[in-house]
Amino acid sequence: MDATEQSTAAATTLACEQVTRRFGGLEALKSVDVSIRQGEIYGLVGPNGSGKTTLVNAVTGFYPPQEGRIVFENRTINHLRPYQVAANGIARTFQNVALFKGMSVLDNILLGRHTFMRPSALASLFYWWWAQKEEVRHRTQVEEIIDLLQLESVRDESVDVLPLGMQKRVELARALAAEPRFLILDEPMAGMNQEEKEYMVRFILDAQEALNLTILLIEHHMDVVTAICDRVAVLNNGEKIAEGTAREAIKDPAVVAAYIGKSNDAA
Amino acid sequence: MFYRLSGVHHTRYQSARQLWPIPADRRIVWGLLALALLGPLILSDLYLSSYALPWLVWTAAALSLTLLMGVAGQLHFGFAAVMAIGAYTSIHIVRAGWPFEIALIGAGLTTAVIGCVFGAAALRVKGLYLVMATLAMQYLVDWVIINVPAISGGAQATLQTPDVRFLFVPLESDISLYYGALLWTVIVTVFVLNIKRTSFGRALVAVRDKDYAASIIGVNSFKYKLLAFFTSSFLGGVSGAILAFCYYQAVTPEQFGFNVSIQLVAMVLVGGLGSVVGAYLGAGFVLLAPIFLTNFVAFLSNQGLLDVSTNLLSHIPLMAYGALIIGFLLFEPLGLAKIYDNIRNYFLVWPFRHSRS
Repeated sequence: MDATEQSTAAATTLACEQVTRRFGGLEALKSVDVSIRQGEIYGLVGPNGSGKTTLVNAVTGFYPPQEGRIVFENRTINHLRPYQVAANGIARTFQNVALFKGMSVLDNILLGRHTFMRPSALASLFYWWWAQKEEVRHRTQVEEIIDLLQLESVRDESVDVLPLGMQKRVELARALAAEPRFLILDEPMAGMNQEEKEYMVRFILDAQEALNLTILLIEHHMDVVTAICDRVAVLNNGEKIAEGTAREAIKDPAVVAAYIGKSNDAA
Repeated sequence: MFYRLSGVHHTRYQSARQLWPIPADRRIVWGLLALALLGPLILSDLYLSSYALPWLVWTAAALSLTLLMGVAGQLHFGFAAVMAIGAYTSIHIVRAGWPFEIALIGAGLTTAVIGCVFGAAALRVKGLYLVMATLAMQYLVDWVIINVPAISGGAQATLQTPDVRFLFVPLESDISLYYGALLWTVIVTVFVLNIKRTSFGRALVAVRDKDYAASIIGVNSFKYKLLAFFTSSFLGGVSGAILAFCYYQAVTPEQFGFNVSIQLVAMVLVGGLGSVVGAYLGAGFVLLAPIFLTNFVAFLSNQGLLDVSTNLLSHIPLMAYGALIIGFLLFEPLGLAKIYDNIRNYFLVWPFRHSRS
């Protein structure tokens, strides 16, 4: 409970104010208010199709909201394109791993440092006098992340030969390489076994501590959510139906109804 | 065996990221470069100027196209037009009295800008639709060249290339032309290899593979698609100029027709998309295989081993050539580069049977 009290005092990192996103006639997000504080792990849960990923896509600029505001570190980021959002210090991973197949683990993670590099054709032409220094400098930083996530043994492997759990870890590494202040993890543990889940939780907590991150975590595994999230919001049909600590949120009657369905006996 | 991975330990990032981290690869490359440099001593004039030289220039062109189609994933079926713009621009700049070096850079820049204009279609469409857009470029450029006398010198006209000097060496003898082409091909090769190991190339590949994942790590996909067209068109334009000055020594619109574009695409596909070795092998195959097949069939018929009409005789090489391309692509869809890679992997793990990955 200490952590919760500390973060109450902390500043707001990301605020979604009355965010609405429609796809044709479907309202995927209905005036959702979310406010995430500096340094916390904020869980986002809800049944399938409840709008969790849409909210993430709204924040990262893929599906800008039609109404409402998204404020990141006191700056409205509604109208930024995804690559501009990334340059502002927001990184994310994808529900179905979005690594670059055919590239090595190392190259994938190096791509995470894109916003800090100055790629140019001329620099490539004069590699030995120009690009090499930059490549080596960023390689040193990437090695630190490889060290943090224990990816040394697969560094030079192509990502498509790795097992899913490892791929998710590489994707986390790529997101961390961008030195984000705010990290969005979209179901980082989907499809993992218990051991891989435990590893992943450990890596997320390590990374949060080492890099001073604020994290938005979408996850279906309730054991993970209750274990590491400071606060949780529950979405259903595009509406936020509950918010609070994980244990409070799970006991909320509206949440129980959304997940299990309402019956007269239960009520 | 001489081809070993064991015992090769890189202790610095620079050496781990060098172009050929395995010593045996480096030796092969130096050997090939030495062979290329000694070319004029080894080959007869005929082989030098009508086999080796066009192979080098077309390799440079295929490398420019593989950068766009293979590395950046943007299909281009009008690359001959790109080369035509380069060839005509360079000739006109030289005729206006400027030095050849300036003409090459001017040709590259002009081509890059025009290539970018048509490449802008890639911002909206991909795949087959982009093929259509680039085909439109081919026909538009052809039409403009043929119908604007200021460019082509009139319909059916041939523009002779003026005598030029490159870096104080007059490009007149077969040997100087060969070395000029070799120099350009080496530059393009090193350039493409370097692009593939730097942040620029990684961004291009990222946009090719998954544009949404690329954008979330900060890659502006519009910018990199345009940059791909710009860089590739620049290289293609200069290659066109080199082709005109070092090989044809004259330009006509027919040299850069649609069939040439298809030939370039064939070089890239048969060689292996995005592969540097593949560009060499693909260009060599597409250029030289028909010649060898024709000679071989002629040899057979002269020996009396092949008794068919002259009409059929002239078609056999073409049929065999088509069958070879289909055969290679069936046998290894990833191209000649992949075949080379398989052989190399075999030797890397010899005497064991399986490579690590």
